[in-house]
Amino acid sequence: MKTTYNKKIKSKIRYLLSVVIITSIFQSCADLDEDPTIAQLAPGAYSKIQELELGVTGVHARLNDASWMTTFYAPFWAGDDITTHFGSNKAEFREFDQRQVSQANSRVKNNWEAIYRTIRAANTVISNNEGLILTDPGEIETQTRLIAEVYFLRGVMFFHLARIHGQIPLPLVPDPDQQLGLSDQVTVYEQIESDLLAAESGLPDVYPGVNAGAPRPNSGSARALLARLYLDWAGFPVKDNAKYAEAATSAKQVIDNSAAHNFALLDDLEDLWTLANVFNSESVWTIPYCKSCGQPNRKFGKLGNPSDLAGWQETFAEIRFFEDFPEGPRKEATYRTEHDWENFNDQPTPVFKKIVGPIEDNLAPDFQTDRNDFFIRYAEVLLIYAEASARSGNITAEAWEALNMIRRRAEGLPFNTPNAGVDVTTGDLAELAFTERKWEFAGEYLRWNDLVRMERVEQALSNRTPQTSMNSSGELLPEFNPIKGSLGTDNYFAPIPQREIDLNPSVNN
Amino acid sequence: MKELFFNLSRKRLILGLLTALMGIYQVYAQQTITGKVVGEDDVGIPGVNVLVKGTTTGQITDFDGNFSISATENDVITISYLGFITQNITVGNQTTINVKLLADTQALDEIVVIGYGTARKSDLTGSVSQVSAKSFEGQPLARLEEALQGRAAGVTVAKANGAPGAAIKVRIRGANSINRSNDPLVVIDGFIGGDLSTLNPNDIASIDVLKDASATAVYGSRGSNGVVLVSTKKGKGVTKVDVDFFTTISTVPDLIPTLGAADFARIENSRRIRGGGSAIFTDQEIAGFAANGGTNYQDEIFQTAISQNLQLSASGSEGKIGYFISGNYVNQEGVVINTNYERYSLRSNVNANISDKFKIGFNIFGSRTTTINDLNQFGRFQGSVVLNALSWDPTTPIFDENGNYNNVSERNLASLNYNPVANLTLANVENIRDRIDANINLSYDILENLNYTLIAGATTFNGSNESYRTFRADPPTAGFGDNKNTTHQISNILTWSKEFGQHNVKATGVYEFSGIQNRFNGYNAARLFVPGGFYFAETAPGSGQSVFNNFSERSIQSLMARGEYIYNNALFVTGTIRMDESSVFRSENRRGYFPSVALAYSFDNMTFIENSNVFSSLKLRAGWGQVGNENIDPYTTFPNVQNANFSFNGSDSTPGVAPNSFGNPDLKWETTTQTNIGIDLGFLNGRANLSIDAYQKNTTDLLLDDPVIPSNGGNVTISKNIGEVENKGIDVAISADVINTDNFNWNTNFNLSHFKNEVTDLGGRDEIQGTFGSIDGQGRTWNIIQVGQPLGQFNGATFLGTWKTSEAAEAATFGRAPGDARYLRDENGDIVFSAIGNGTPTLTWGFNNTITYKNWDLNIFFQGVHGFDILNAVQGVIVGNTGNQRSFLAPEQLNQWTPQNETDIPAGGPNEAGSTRYIEKGDFIRLSNLTLGYTLKDVKHLNANVKLYITGQNLFLITDYSGYDPELTSVPADDNAGNKSVDVAAGINAGAYPNPRSFIFGVKVGF
Repeated sequence: MKTTYNKKIKSKIRYLLSVVIITSIFQSCADLDEDPTIAQLAPGAYSKIQELELGVTGVHARLNDASWMTTFYAPFWAGDDITTHFGSNKAEFREFDQRQVSQANSRVKNNWEAIYRTIRAANTVISNNEGLILTDPGEIETQTRLIAEVYFLRGVMFFHLARIHGQIPLPLVPDPDQQLGLSDQVTVYEQIESDLLAAESGLPDVYPGVNAGAPRPNSGSARALLARLYLDWAGFPVKDNAKYAEAATSAKQVIDNSAAHNFALLDDLEDLWTLANVFNSESVWTIPYCKSCGQPNRKFGKLGNPSDLAGWQETFAEIRFFEDFPEGPRKEATYRTEHDWENFNDQPTPVFKKIVGPIEDNLAPDFQTDRNDFFIRYAEVLLIYAEASARSGNITAEAWEALNMIRRRAEGLPFNTPNAGVDVTTGDLAELAFTERKWEFAGEYLRWNDLVRMERVEQALSNRTPQTSMNSSGELLPEFNPIKGSLGTDNYFAPIPQREIDLNPSVNN
Repeated sequence: MKELFFNLSRKRLILGLLTALMGIYQVYAQQTITGKVVGEDDVGIPGVNVLVKGTTTGQITDFDGNFSISATENDVITISYLGFITQNITVGNQTTINVKLLADTQALDEIVVIGYGTARKSDLTGSVSQVSAKSFEGQPLARLEEALQGRAAGVTVAKANGAPGAAIKVRIRGANSINRSNDPLVVIDGFIGGDLSTLNPNDIASIDVLKDASATAVYGSRGSNGVVLVSTKKGKGVTKVDVDFFTTISTVPDLIPTLGAADFARIENSRRIRGGGSAIFTDQEIAGFAANGGTNYQDEIFQTAISQNLQLSASGSEGKIGYFISGNYVNQEGVVINTNYERYSLRSNVNANISDKFKIGFNIFGSRTTTINDLNQFGRFQGSVVLNALSWDPTTPIFDENGNYNNVSERNLASLNYNPVANLTLANVENIRDRIDANINLSYDILENLNYTLIAGATTFNGSNESYRTFRADPPTAGFGDNKNTTHQISNILTWSKEFGQHNVKATGVYEFSGIQNRFNGYNAARLFVPGGFYFAETAPGSGQSVFNNFSERSIQSLMARGEYIYNNALFVTGTIRMDESSVFRSENRRGYFPSVALAYSFDNMTFIENSNVFSSLKLRAGWGQVGNENIDPYTTFPNVQNANFSFNGSDSTPGVAPNSFGNPDLKWETTTQTNIGIDLGFLNGRANLSIDAYQKNTTDLLLDDPVIPSNGGNVTISKNIGEVENKGIDVAISADVINTDNFNWNTNFNLSHFKNEVTDLGGRDEIQGTFGSIDGQGRTWNIIQVGQPLGQFNGATFLGTWKTSEAAEAATFGRAPGDARYLRDENGDIVFSAIGNGTPTLTWGFNNTITYKNWDLNIFFQGVHGFDILNAVQGVIVGNTGNQRSFLAPEQLNQWTPQNETDIPAGGPNEAGSTRYIEKGDFIRLSNLTLGYTLKDVKHLNANVKLYITGQNLFLITDYSGYDPELTSVPADDNAGNKSVDVAAGINAGAYPNPRSFIFGVKVGF
């Protein structure tokens, strides 16, 4: 009896022991403190130069998200050079083309949001860099350059948005809760100026290790954009005439240092719009693309063709502008003149070669291309110099020469060789340069801003009816997308997107 | 459960012995009656109580079920055994009485799993629905979720799409959360975080659904969406082998009508001429289309699909070891070409009773599912592939004259997307998910009333995605992504219970911790040098290769206490509290307490119930509790960055990062407070039962994605605890054995849920824009969350028909002409976008009938969903003249506006797919299942029961809806896929995969 009892006790103990052992193997506590740095680069203060480099590349990537589609430039369909399909799903481009932009225009909203997303990335880098104290001289140099690059990108983003909306909020720190109102126009320009000056002072003459065309900005890119800024500043709406002189000086500075920055005109305009030449010395700042890297450019190729040519009917050329365009090599480089466009079934409008590319590149079947954006060309620097010199009352031989270089190339002539048949040395230099810009930059989303700063919207858009273009039945072609809205200065800028107004009451104050 | 029987029968043994002893002293003239008590399987049942009614004379049956008892001719012998229907037999002149006991299903079902323990159904205080295997055995199931559909009141099961292997949406009492998952917590054999979709339905013994907070509070911060407790089968008794095989033939029930090629060409010509262009098709071409019919791409992408399902199981017990082993193979073809789903699974549940006090069990389950071409991964930027087929140019053949695919419409008509047949045929995206669940459970009776149970388990589930794309990618691209997850859970459960006279007290304490680690690795390889398939990824050039990595982990640590008190089997009180500490919140917000209390009162012992011929039971229940939802991603309280690579040189990418979310360190869980009252009524001795529950739940401190001011960072949100959602509703469940005779049985179950969902607060905002982007190229958002309205509001334009000739001048002010579509506009002349419908149903019901007659059995299952709208954007796109589909394709266009016949079908002008024109009522009634079976009993030579059956699923649908199926939605139900908007974008059809109609032929063999 006792042994059985003992046995029982023993087996009980054995079971109990095994329960205790099995159980205790599994016991522990949960680790409840998170460590996001295992797989995430903490977006807090940087401790290494590599983190700063990653952050700056990220700002470029964000900018690319903003710029890869025509949304980035949709407001510039308002110019007299570009139009779009009269029907189809291009209503949001037509709203600009016809000067009646709705607050609900999603291109405006998406562009606004994409730009502020880029600005947030830039502000985050600037803020994270504050605690990054480096000792290695090479690293300090890199840090200076990278931060200057971020200021450049932020300034350009503010600038691009200000051209669309005029007054805008100016967030300078990454803070989700700040409620910024619209800054007045001068403050906006001063901020852009300050960012570009900071960029210029920290950037080298040529960014190390990059292709031609400044796909990463150099100090000359910053100065060229300052020239563009001052030209705007002197015009509508601020009309600070003193800024013309600054525009001229800035442009001259870039011209004088063009060799150091590797900036130069290409000999042949036709070379500018080829796939082979997406990195070229004429571009003063390039937004690069790379289809195979998942970073395609969606503004060219298929988008410029009507459905007759299996296109997406987005970026068409205005008939009247085409009619007025001076014949010559530049017109050939601007349009695909071989098409019988007057008899297109879809919509008889000319096709921009600048958009669909030359025949050899065969971009048209695709809407995603490897084309780059030449955000500002050396030709623009020259023409800013010519126009701003004249408007500031400082007409020089160099200013005439700057204009003549563009005129010569437009005729297919060597731009550095004076040619009495083409060159001009008398007349209204400012107006000649202004008109030269019209032809030189047709289809490059720049014309609208020229009309705005010179308050010539009404003059340019009042009569766009085709004068000479007829279809095979001998009928004069109609004007597509006629103007619906006001051409007055009250309608120059795009509305602030409704979503910003809904979420940020301060923009109404 | 088995122990319970055993314990009870032992008590009865003593009782029986006593009564037998007392019987010796009886003085009346007696005769000895002998007999045998057997079960339905004709095997003797030991321990059955045999009693002379009205006396204390009694006996219990021996090991073989035999008994012998003294009684007079006038005596009535009562034969009773727990779990079986009691029988009364008048002795008469019989000396041998053989009795076959029938299982009392009512009693057998009475054990309900309640989380960290079980309870008798009659003792429940909370709102719990049980679905036992018996109720769905009659229906061939490939997915366990289907077993829940229409069988548990308050549980909504909706197939988001008909793709094989697609996630199925399960909601318990509506959706609480706007931005977080509303999926219920799934607990399989005590292990938290299971996946219903991987389970083999044949492995399941029962599913218990905890619905109200008093029941789910034991799961604390994970309980707010309800809890689905799954119990798998365990082996006991004689060895049983079951084989079940069925094959399914599925088709798309009805095609959506679209214009034929000739009509399409005519309408396209008129559209072009009207727009100022010229005809694009010649009369001769149109005549050609009329003759050859063109190509119907809808027809081309669908097929008759054949599926196989094989299930095998063996179970039984040998001595102290019980086992259940099963295997399952499913191979489902999709009704869309080149889509497929395959699943293998194996389960082994082994239990050992090492001693009376010490039991140990080991369950292991493994499954592999392979999905070929999950269409949800094809994106819906411009509508799904199905929609592309519905809106593709019927005048362009699939192949050109050289036998190559026509990638795009020959004349750029209709859909601007690529040839859907080519897209599907050339697609090769393989998704492989492997899952292994292993857990041990150990139970030890420390003292007579004190038990310790350990549940310890680990799961690994890996999902990899291999894609090889040749379509429109020349050279081809290969992509790979692999998610590896491991989870662990250790639960220590201490249970103490004791009876003090009429007081029954039970206390449960739990210490538990669990965690999950996720590792993600992936790569992309573009421009393969050798176009040989996915495994040639390494032939991509360096510049085409990119890698992705991620790691995250989360853990939770908890204490739980529960007290249950029963007085006189009439008053039931349950109180629980759980403390959770979750790693996804910062230390100051980490700890939460989730209390609940519930009570019930049973009137069964009252004379008015005991004396009633109609009522057999009455119970009232009331409960209150608070539960949480901690379902945010790890590291949400920290700001984070995302990869933002960039190519400076046009050929290679440079790594970069850019800020992503703004972290919010102050986050805590959502809290759902729920009150439930219920009544349970039994009629006619339990032959019919009625349960009604009414509830209100308020979810506060929502983990809401609050939009950041755009100028502070674009279109981003920040998670904040703001807002409130309220759900109110009533659940009714009725079950009855309508007919219950030897040869003919009819069992019916009906349940109905009515609920009302309302967003009551959005932190001061009136509305928040949704996230369902329009598919018509207009850049709109089609859903909106509004205070005072249910989730699932549609945002769109109000369609007013056409501009009439008499209105030409007014139309012209908006740039429109007579015949153009007309929409409601505001004072600025802009089209008004506002709430135009709601996709959240208010009423769901299920009606399940099982009728058996001799060897025949019939299962009929109806299901209904009511009170919701559908934004049929698919029809909007088919109609056309919109962003990405610029032609007209709908047959109604044949009756379009003309100057002579000014109908309200526009002949031009932009068409808003997101408008009242495409809002339809979604209400439907479906015959979900109809199965007719015939069982051959004891088939000679085989020594087996063989059941043959034929089933029709989705045989008919009563609805006014014009699309494929009103139950479909375009947002995949799978929350793991990051589709948090599934409930806020309910009812938007952007081209979901159609639900098939299926015919199933099956055979079941039981040895």
